[in-house]
Formats: sequence, C-alpha cells, structure tokens
Amino acid sequence: MLRIPCPHCGARDEIEFTYRGDATVARPGPDAGVDAFHDYLYLRTNPRGWQAEWWQHSSGCRAFLKLLRHTVTHEIRAVATATETLEVPGA
Amino acid sequence: MSAPEATHPLAAVATPGLRGAAGVAPLRVSLPVRETVQVMVRRGREEAFAAAMEASFGMAPPAPGHTLAGGAVTAIWIQPGGFMLTGAGPGLAERAALAFVGLAAVEDQSHGRTTITVSGPAARAVLARGCRLDLHTRAFGPGRAAMTQIAHIGCLLHQVDDAPSFELTVFSTLAEPFFHWLVEAGSGDGVVIA
Ligand SMILES: [Zn+2]
Repeated sequence: MLRIPCPHCGARDEIEFTYRGDATVARPGPDAGVDAFHDYLYLRTNPRGWQAEWWQHSSGCRAFLKLLRHTVTHEIRAVATATETLEVPGA
Repeated sequence: MSAPEATHPLAAVATPGLRGAAGVAPLRVSLPVRETVQVMVRRGREEAFAAAMEASFGMAPPAPGHTLAGGAVTAIWIQPGGFMLTGAGPGLAERAALAFVGLAAVEDQSHGRTTITVSGPAARAVLARGCRLDLHTRAFGPGRAAMTQIAHIGCLLHQVDDAPSFELTVFSTLAEPFFHWLVEAGSGDGVVIA
C-alpha cells in the first residue's frame, strides 16, 4: 500500500488514487503520421527505476498529479501538479 | 430551487431507536436537514469569488482541507477551486447562484447527496473501521474536512465539534448501503438513531 502525498490534501492511501500511466508520453500533432501515433499509443519504456507517472486523486480532490516513483522500491521522491514538470533522474 | 425530498433516502432504514448492543457510550446518529450546493470557481476569478463570498456569506473561502461557517451556512473545501456549501436552507442554491454570477458554476446537489451526522466518544473508533483518514485529535479536529472513501463509498467528511461530531455526506443512491455499514460498524457499543 502506497501513501501518496497529494499537494492539496496531504498524505493519503493509494486506494483513493487512480493510476494513469507514464506521464512523459506526449500526444503527437495531427499530421505526425500513423507510426508516430502507433508509438504514442503502444510503446512504453517500462523502466526499472525512476518513472514519472500520472495518478489522479479520484476519491479525494480529483486533481491529476505527477509522481516520481521508483518501480522497484516504490519510493515516491517527488509529486507535482499536472502543469508542473518533473525531472526524471537516471536509473 | 429544490424542496426537501418528500421521502428521505434513509426513511425506510433509519427508524429511531437503538441498534446493536446497549453499550455505555453508543454512537449517536442523526439525519440533519441539509441543502448541499456545489460551487466551482472559474479560472482566474478566485479573487473576485473570495470577495463575493465575503459580501454574501460573511466568510472567506475555506483553505484546503478546512471548513468555515458564515451564519447558518458552512463552506467546505472539496478540491482546488471547489467548495460545498451546506445549510439547513431553504434557498441556499438561489443565494449562491445570485452571489457568484460569472464567478463560479453553482450546482444544487441537495437531492443527490445525503448527510448523516455521527457523534459521541465512539465516533472515531467506528469510523476507523471503514475510513483510512487519521482522525486522531493530533491530526484532525473541528473545522477540518476531507473527501475520501468510507467502506468503499465516496464520502465528504467534516468534523463539527469536539464531541466529536462528524458530518458524512454521500451520494443519495449509496446512502442506504452506507447506512447499513455504519450500523454494523457501530453495533458493538450500540447505535442510537435519533
Ligand atoms: Zn488531493
């Protein structure tokens, strides 16, 4: 069970959140072509280490948050609001 | 806007009396009359909204995780730029709609939400059986509020006083299963329904 520090609500249990995947994926422009959309839709780096990911505080304040989480240890090093940027350190 | 519902969503199950054991400190449960109005501030209008709130309800918008009372109306922070106004009514939705023209979206949720008050020394222990918030006096207290899940049901919780009393606001469609859980969780020391 993770305790996730929501910048609006404080630390809350993982059960209040919905995981929304890799937060570094950016939607290509409308003319980018089918290959770019294929990569956008299907390809993920699935890192063993630090990952920036979306978590929505769906049962709390409903805000979309970016978390920097270690995929092996589950350590949460940073949290940001949707419009802020998170630096992802190397593994 | 919305008159109280002709039949309270819990009328069939929340009949007055004692449920469970006859303990020395039972949980006290009551169903307050509440108008519930959701207010979502428009982006960039936060300052004008705060001024309108001060002018019309005599209070500032509450800080995150907090409530404020202005007269008979309580404002509860529910999300960034979002508040729930509650009061015994009537006419709260109309008042809010007039006060916040152009500043916020105002939605009357009175029929959509049902509020249950739990009170007494047993309240924290009973809530702890389904609520993951830390409600200890060191971490929570009167004037504090949180959106969370209790017994897997989305719930807006805020503490009213040191009794302690908590107001629990849930979707009306889920009020009955929520109420059954509450009575079950409190049955060890008894639940007195007003
Ligand atoms: Zn939150």
